[in-house]
Amino acid sequence: MDTFEGYHPVVNFTYFLMVLLITMFSMHPLFLAMTFLVSFLYSFMLEGGKAVKRNLCFLIPIVLLAVLLNPLFTQRGQTILFYLNDAAVTMEAVAFGAAAAIMFTSMIIWFSCFSCVMNTDKFIYLFGSIIPSVGLVLSMCFRFIPLLKRRFREISQGQKYLGRNFTGQKLFRRVRQLGKEISILIAWSLEAGIETSDSMEARGYGLKGRSNYSIFRFDRRDALMLSSIAVLSGIVIYGCFQKVNSILYYPRIVFRETTAFSAVVYIAYGIFLLLPIYIELQGEIKWKHLYSKM
Amino acid sequence: METFVFKDVNFCYPGREKKALDKMSFSIGESQFVLICGKSGCGKSTLLRHMKKSLIPYGEGEGEIYYCGQDFMHLDDRRDAEEIGFVGQDPENQIVTDKVWHEMAFGLENLGLSTNSIRRRVSEMACYFGIQSWFRKNTSELSGGQKQLLNLASVMAMYPKVIVLDEPTAQLDPIAALEFLETLRKINRDLGITIVISEHRLEEVFPMADKVMVMEEGRLCFWGTPRETGAYLSGGKCRHEMFLGLPAPMKIYADVDGGGDYPLTIREGRLWLSKVFPKIMLKSLPESEEEPGEDREKAVTIKNAWFRYERNSEDVVRDLSLSIETGEFFCLLGGNGAGKSTTLGIVSGVNKPWRGAIRILGKPLEKYKGNELFTNCLGVLPQNPASVFTEITAEEELYEALYYDPVPKEEKLLRIQQMMQKMQLGGMEQAHPYDLSGGEKQRLALGKILLREPKILLLDEPTKGLDPFFKTILADILRELKNQGVTIFMVTHDIEFCGEYADRCAMFFDGGISAIDTPHEFFGGNNFYTTAANRMSRHLFERAITYREVVELCGRNIQKNNS
Repeated sequence: MDTFEGYHPVVNFTYFLMVLLITMFSMHPLFLAMTFLVSFLYSFMLEGGKAVKRNLCFLIPIVLLAVLLNPLFTQRGQTILFYLNDAAVTMEAVAFGAAAAIMFTSMIIWFSCFSCVMNTDKFIYLFGSIIPSVGLVLSMCFRFIPLLKRRFREISQGQKYLGRNFTGQKLFRRVRQLGKEISILIAWSLEAGIETSDSMEARGYGLKGRSNYSIFRFDRRDALMLSSIAVLSGIVIYGCFQKVNSILYYPRIVFRETTAFSAVVYIAYGIFLLLPIYIELQGEIKWKHLYSKM
Repeated sequence: METFVFKDVNFCYPGREKKALDKMSFSIGESQFVLICGKSGCGKSTLLRHMKKSLIPYGEGEGEIYYCGQDFMHLDDRRDAEEIGFVGQDPENQIVTDKVWHEMAFGLENLGLSTNSIRRRVSEMACYFGIQSWFRKNTSELSGGQKQLLNLASVMAMYPKVIVLDEPTAQLDPIAALEFLETLRKINRDLGITIVISEHRLEEVFPMADKVMVMEEGRLCFWGTPRETGAYLSGGKCRHEMFLGLPAPMKIYADVDGGGDYPLTIREGRLWLSKVFPKIMLKSLPESEEEPGEDREKAVTIKNAWFRYERNSEDVVRDLSLSIETGEFFCLLGGNGAGKSTTLGIVSGVNKPWRGAIRILGKPLEKYKGNELFTNCLGVLPQNPASVFTEITAEEELYEALYYDPVPKEEKLLRIQQMMQKMQLGGMEQAHPYDLSGGEKQRLALGKILLREPKILLLDEPTKGLDPFFKTILADILRELKNQGVTIFMVTHDIEFCGEYADRCAMFFDGGISAIDTPHEFFGGNNFYTTAANRMSRHLFERAITYREVVELCGRNIQKNNS
């Protein structure tokens, strides 16, 4: 099935980079509303109900905190709602707090979508294509993490079998025991490392002209997607530089007027944000269609 | 042209007096399947490493080695990497990257191949080895057998002419080992790749080999076809030490004066037996007097235990009930991933069943607090002895086990001395635990555990990777422990070992015990899952499990026929 995750890592990465950049630098309510709603929807599509629960857990306290705290720290703004201990609570300060909170939570949700779509393979590919040796080192590290964890578990188990379980006993004994266990882990890993390096050398590591292989293929679909990302985000960024999304919160909330150009930018931004969801939905529909014919 | 020619090759590790290779001269032909056997430490690994230029150990070498007619020492590094593949003993440590596909591409990347040709070769090898279904998996999720197959596949992707393998199946269970060896044979037959392999378990690999080399203390002892080697190892005034490692049909043939051709496989062995004994006078040996079944105390009882690893996973152990008497040698057999090791974990309190009761020496397991269970009560030998070694010499290693004991130092030293003797590690007091061989490492770990004086000993696949010689030492030690009244609970794949030494065997299947009996009844009742000697002779004899029993029966039948 066609999913955004199935696209080339460069496409995934560019998309998220652009989304995060634009989200980070725009406080315009319309921009915020769009990025927030789309990120929420997309994370729901990727992870289901679990994501909704988690997102709300982030959203509610952050919004509450920002809306409550910002007016207490800033006295700016013209429209005074009420006084709290002689300090004015202004509508502008509340609005700014809310906008900042929404921006912040959208960033978090986009990041969670990012980590869903980008797996370790894609990371290794991206770094590896910039500096090849870094790619290999990363790959070896990703192998080592579960390996060391498993070894350490095996070691503490082996020590417990020798009656070396000191939980709840003197600190000195516990520290001594932990030191022993770590020293076994190191000795064992070094010993194993010799065999790994033998195996690397036996397969010609260190020969001149190493190439870099990946299972990712950059095809027409990726090119198409990448160019749409480039064009749409280009329009939006150009718009941002033309101050389409500028907004003043203090001393009074001031928007720019909506012109034909800003409407184009809004629409472009909307389409840009919806790209992965569109791909996902289209894939789903196509699949159902094919399936119903079978 | 000969793939390898060795001419008077000597090799000595730095700082050692004894030569690791002594005047090795032989030649290996193209597309041959060569088996190298010998006791642990006889120089097999050193010899194999001389067939891969990048792995030749550091030390003093003499003599000449030719690879395809060319001086080996001046072989181009790229050709060495490409044409000679090397697979070692430990499946885990040879893997470099985190993903299966990346591992297979690793060598090809090193050679600097283009993405397209790497893709073609990797897909070709994945298909040949049946790796497609786990192609995108993490290497850490694979089983031992899959890991070793991946190591072979990543070597094969480089299109080698020779593959050198150093005990590749030592860490695998018998089924995975057989699958691996069959793959090797296929590579040799289909693609004509020269195979040089060293092995301990000769049962399966012996009939596959074109030529067999026997090594002893760095010297070439014998070099011939499998049948000739069998004759050599069983001939002479006293049996060669490697004789015990031979396939059962060959051992039986050697001990029975039957004539005919040397049988290599079980099939040949059966045919040969039928020919020698057209009429059977005595079908089974008289049953040895069973000890009167006095009610001994139970060392371990498990009652209706159910266990699963995660809340939503399947039960690994289902309604398991088992009791082991004190002083018994009990073996739990079963397939890979059946839950044997899990059961061991249940007994040692690591895995807590969600239902059921466990008693150790009559006392419920949960009543043992802190270190009580592992002090003078339960000893566990982990599968990997490296996980208990903390010190830099063997002696200190044992001393560490007594570190917290309130006894004077002299007594501790005396006990350590005795333990070293008991574990047959005399003279190795100052050796680093990592420098010992597999069998010695294991005995050192066992010694460390025995210093805690356990009454029940749990062993997790102790015969894995041991050569037949070390196996008999282990068996002697275990027998000695049994005589002292220690209960032994062993989890294993090693059918032959159980058949010979166990008091009772049980088959673990589908979360519970499906059969439990003495070895004779247990294996006598199984049709396939039984010792090689039994499979070879079961059409003629009843309940003959070990090769000695078959030989004994053959002898008695010959006597009867003659009289």
